[in-house]
Amino acid sequence: MTDLPRVHPVRDGVRDALTVVIAYIPFGLALGATLASLNVDPFVAWTSSPLIVAGASQLVSVQLLSEGAAPVIVVITALVVNSRHLLYSASLAPYWRDWGRGTRAGGAYFLADPMYALAIARYEGKAEDSTARLRYYLAMSFVTWAGWMILTGAGVLLGAVLPESLPLELAAPLTFLLLLLPTLKGRPAYVSAATAGIVAIIAAPLPLGLGLIAAAIVGMIAGALTERMQAA
Amino acid sequence: MTEFLTLVVVGLGTYAMRAAFLVGKEAKPPKVLERYLPHVAPAVLAAIAAPALVAPRGEISLTETLPALIAAAATWLVWTKTQQMALALIAGLGLWWLILFGLSFVA
Repeated sequence: MTDLPRVHPVRDGVRDALTVVIAYIPFGLALGATLASLNVDPFVAWTSSPLIVAGASQLVSVQLLSEGAAPVIVVITALVVNSRHLLYSASLAPYWRDWGRGTRAGGAYFLADPMYALAIARYEGKAEDSTARLRYYLAMSFVTWAGWMILTGAGVLLGAVLPESLPLELAAPLTFLLLLLPTLKGRPAYVSAATAGIVAIIAAPLPLGLGLIAAAIVGMIAGALTERMQAA
Repeated sequence: MTEFLTLVVVGLGTYAMRAAFLVGKEAKPPKVLERYLPHVAPAVLAAIAAPALVAPRGEISLTETLPALIAAAATWLVWTKTQQMALALIAGLGLWWLILFGLSFVA
């Protein structure tokens, strides 16, 4: 690391996480408020935050429960919605290789969308050793996790008194756009993102959030093909 | 209680998927996936963002889609210039509100 004289993985991790938490304020509060408005005990609904740590599937699960869906339907639906985490797991494996097994097992609990996005952007952008990677991940993921617990909790508690005058629906997609932008390095990444985005829009009506995972797979293939064409 | 237990099972299943390639004796992605893994991040994040950017409130139409896309472009521009995520978000969201406010007089 001779070309990187001063690296502050913990400080950087906290800073990046706080930015994400701030960006998540509208989404977290709105999700908490929605959870509390459904026909499920608000505290039980909130436990989806520490249990699942993935907003969209938390909402789907609690919504289905409140409609009286069978538990097995709830589980299948939520797990299909969350299937992208398999890709996150495979994608980070090379970077976590040198960590102990227990550390990897613990780290996996925090591997939600923003944690994955920040971790992969950091690992691809900076040639750090495995200790620095671990410090960054722990600091970043813990602060983001704590923020998610607090924001969704506040949303549950404040649900009824949140003002409805400001539309916030665009806050979450803009946040994901901002998590996407640092990963756009080189033509294969742009092709991959553009293809996945277009397929996701077309496939959005598919049930179970299948459009998302289908779009992700098509996008990955398009990216790999572009890379091969560049190499040829 | 059934509701809580259902959420526990969803949580365990989600954890299993997050841990799938990370908790083995060696953290190793499957060989067949290797070529595709560098593209996971741009593909998944774009697939999450794009549908909600063209239809933030579930509807694709000129007055819904265009303001959202303009706000997304502004967010992109501010991020490219400043690399400040929070600033870019506020700029995009603020512009979106301004456009919606303007449209409320037209409609």
